[in-house]
Amino acid sequence: MSGLGELDRPGTPVSPGAWDTRSEGWLFAEPNDPDEPNEPNATDEPNVTGGAGVTHTTHTTDTAHATNTADTADTADTGDVMRAPTGVAARTTSGALTGTRPMGGGRGAGGAAGAGSGAKRGSTGRRGAADPVKTLMHRHRELCERAVDPLEIAAGLEAHGITERTAARFRHRDVFSLAEEMYARVPRDADQPPPPARTAPAARARADWALRALLPGALTGLTLAGVHLTDGRARFLVAAAGVLAVALGAGVALRRGPLSAPSGTHTWRPVGRTQAGAWWLFGYALLGDGLLGAALSGGPDGLPNGTADGPWPLTAAPVLALTLACAPAAWCAHLFTIHARRRLAGSRGLAEFAAGVRPLLLGTFALFLCALAALAALSGAVLREPAAYPETLALGALLLLARLLTVHRLPHPAALAVTAAATTEVLAPALVLTSHLPGCAFLAVPVEALVDAWGPGAVPTLACATAALALLLHASRSLTRASAHAPTGEQT
Amino acid sequence: MRIGLLTEGGYPYVSGDARLWCDRLVRGLGQHEFDIYALSRSRQQEDEGWLPLPPQVSRVRTAPVWTAEDDGIGYARRARRRFAACYEDLARAVCIDSDDQADRFASALYGLAELARDEGGLVGALRSETAVGALERACRAPGASRTAREARVPDLLTVAAHLERALRPLSLDWYGDDSLGSVDLCHATAGGAAAVPGLLARHFSGVPLLVTEYGVQLRSHYLATGAGTESPAVRALLAVFHRRLAAETYARAALVTPGNTHARRWQERCGADRAKIRTVYPGMEASRFAEVGESQEPADTDTLVWVGRVEPAKDLVSLLHAFAEVRRAQPKARLRVVGAPADPEGQAYLGHCRALAAQLFPDEADGVHAVGDNPVSFEEIGGPEAPTLADAYASGAVVVLSSVVEGFPIGLVEAMFCGRATVSTDVGAVVEVIGGTGLVVPPRNPRALAEACVALLRDPERRARLGAAARARALELFTVEQNIAAFHSIYLEVVSRCPVRRVVLDGAGEPLPFAVPAEAHIPGRWTGPASRVLARGGPGWASTAPDPVAATSSAAAEGAR
Repeated sequence: MSGLGELDRPGTPVSPGAWDTRSEGWLFAEPNDPDEPNEPNATDEPNVTGGAGVTHTTHTTDTAHATNTADTADTADTGDVMRAPTGVAARTTSGALTGTRPMGGGRGAGGAAGAGSGAKRGSTGRRGAADPVKTLMHRHRELCERAVDPLEIAAGLEAHGITERTAARFRHRDVFSLAEEMYARVPRDADQPPPPARTAPAARARADWALRALLPGALTGLTLAGVHLTDGRARFLVAAAGVLAVALGAGVALRRGPLSAPSGTHTWRPVGRTQAGAWWLFGYALLGDGLLGAALSGGPDGLPNGTADGPWPLTAAPVLALTLACAPAAWCAHLFTIHARRRLAGSRGLAEFAAGVRPLLLGTFALFLCALAALAALSGAVLREPAAYPETLALGALLLLARLLTVHRLPHPAALAVTAAATTEVLAPALVLTSHLPGCAFLAVPVEALVDAWGPGAVPTLACATAALALLLHASRSLTRASAHAPTGEQT
Repeated sequence: MRIGLLTEGGYPYVSGDARLWCDRLVRGLGQHEFDIYALSRSRQQEDEGWLPLPPQVSRVRTAPVWTAEDDGIGYARRARRRFAACYEDLARAVCIDSDDQADRFASALYGLAELARDEGGLVGALRSETAVGALERACRAPGASRTAREARVPDLLTVAAHLERALRPLSLDWYGDDSLGSVDLCHATAGGAAAVPGLLARHFSGVPLLVTEYGVQLRSHYLATGAGTESPAVRALLAVFHRRLAAETYARAALVTPGNTHARRWQERCGADRAKIRTVYPGMEASRFAEVGESQEPADTDTLVWVGRVEPAKDLVSLLHAFAEVRRAQPKARLRVVGAPADPEGQAYLGHCRALAAQLFPDEADGVHAVGDNPVSFEEIGGPEAPTLADAYASGAVVVLSSVVEGFPIGLVEAMFCGRATVSTDVGAVVEVIGGTGLVVPPRNPRALAEACVALLRDPERRARLGAAARARALELFTVEQNIAAFHSIYLEVVSRCPVRRVVLDGAGEPLPFAVPAEAHIPGRWTGPASRVLARGGPGWASTAPDPVAATSSAAAEGAR
């Protein structure tokens, strides 16, 4: 009772010795001495829990010894004689076991067996193997194989409850040096095949955006039908309602799916500019050719009346084709995203990725143009108008590229190109109308020359095709970069 | 003195980590001003709001790290070149895993911070193709580690995105003379991202940095990525990045205060200078255990108590087996398991333990006419048997801890506050906490646990002696008051050893002598009316200890002697 320090010093048992007097009894009884077969305690042992294994051995030796002394001549029978009492002994011990543990579930019996073997282990050394670290590595082999540096193994070992005291058992100063040894001993094959490339979670085709993409085309078709069937004031109302519905439908179609712009406060400005430009381009496709033609011939003499043969004729076929093309555009963007991601997962270097994605981009673009041409032919046939291929294709190409760039977080060049095309289309009729003023006739000369050579559709075709070409060049450089296809990884 | 408290996903938020500790610290050191600079971890955390703040918090600035606002600024040619050079250095320092790259890492980090301060637009640049290309070149460069060489394009993108996220504090506008530049001391409440603003404040304005880590950030990073599905190359590069960041933090910090020896070992391993490390144990509210701890009445002499959250790491199965052994020696012994599971896994484990207890121990009664009862009872705090935590501890003669994995054992400290003799397994910080005031046995050894329990159950005198010693130790080391007093003196030490040297310029651009007088660093509002009265007797800081320290209980003072 001299002080706390001496009495209650915390510590782990360091020697594999006995825990108490009873376990001491097992330890010393275990190496059965054949010279002392009739150990007086042996028969009392079954009353003690956990002593089953020991009792078993003692009985066996006992009987064997007795048989040997009784009949040494008949050696052939000895084996059988020996075998029989062993079975009896085994039965006795199991009886003793269940007797001492009446509640004996599987767990209890297992515990007893564990205690018995624990005593045996204590005397022979816990693991028996000469290399305890190897055993530890085997137990934590997944951790060791995964680890990229020793500290990761150290963190993992500590999470499994290994402390400095445990590390001392492995003759290491601390967990870190133990982890270093384990890290160094993990076999690392130099020409081990690299782990299979993870396939990025591919954007699945979803019914919601596929259906939404049909919305603008359907609404345009309905509006045109309504305009065709009504007359006078009703026609005007139907047309106004139709424009509004198409605008809303386009907004809905572009909000989700492969054509949706990434969110962010800094992107709304260029995205808004692109959208305003796109609406102007649409408006021009509908009304612009008629206006230009009328202006060049001194008009226009009245507001458009919704038909193709009025004083300000409408060209509805390109608009119908373009709104219907929302669906192929969404599918093309989807295909591009999927294949680009697949290529991303498979490529080793940035240059390899760029080389692989460029044909993909051009192929997707060509596919969209084919689909658009088909739609233009279809809508021309339905509306009984000439299918204006060049201007439809140029405008569609421009809008698709602009949207692709916006989707891949490059909204500024898209806004620039669309705004430039829209400005050109503002300027052309403005110049022609201004030339009606006295003394300003020279202003209309370039537009007149153009229209004389190729017709009124040449102005939007030229404007859109130039912008689309510029965007295509830009996209073939910027959309082939890996950073344009990086998963956004934003948390919410 | 003005303290800049830096947190990440922490203090002013209701759901923050370590908010209790920060709150006690801020409230306890009312003589200082606190500016809180908090990085929030998720939108949910922001929506949940703040804790009520005491008046000594003069300003709170928050920034989200979970979302990045690309300000859309594209770099001009010169800035682009500057960015490319810095990022190239950073990428090399991350890809080449040798110790001589630490300086390169530091210069790259501060170079990027200066670029962000001068030009802005760092978020967009960190995600750009320039960054990814620099990473690719660094991975293929001679000297790059073997794992880094195997990096594929998706790995490069992932690493670039992680780096962008980790470097978001660089883009904040916190480093001007009116924000972090004006504080006298930056106290980072965690390593990692929380310490980055402190590093930059030190770089830009020379503000000393104090780093407190109760759990080492680098270790949590390893444990978090170890369970993830990232490829080896990504994990290797990120591990090196976080290791270098930790090393830089420890190297630049004026003082590092780990919460226990375990954290201290990790910090030393990551390059913290021993001379800079001061272990400050976490403080716990001792008053709610005072009644139990000081009462002299002997507890139920045959009861063992286990208190904690039920989960597999607590190894209750081993405890039940140990209790079976205890019952053989002490047939009247009883075991109370007080605690609730936290998750479905714990729920299943509790069910398993109940079944095992029912199997091992049949119900027993006093006589043939009495209704029986199981010697092992499972209870929850708030039930009729244990209305409070202190009551739960008070109901037992010996408190048992049977965990196989443990960090800082809070339950053990509570038992020590209650003056109970304890038997615990040798895991985590148990030995460090218990000192010599309880019994410690190896983990996963029910027999040794049982032996220790029986020894204590049979010896009431030893139990009382150990309990008293444990309570004295806990009151000395683990009270809130000692925690606050320790930080008070550490603040003074840091400010006296490495004060901020500010040069104030007058209108003509000449340095203004004596613009920052020495008194500016005196703790407390020295121009205020209250301290003026005190100042007559001597310096204000010498005569007025912080209030909570004055309130330290007498037992703690005795224990300290």
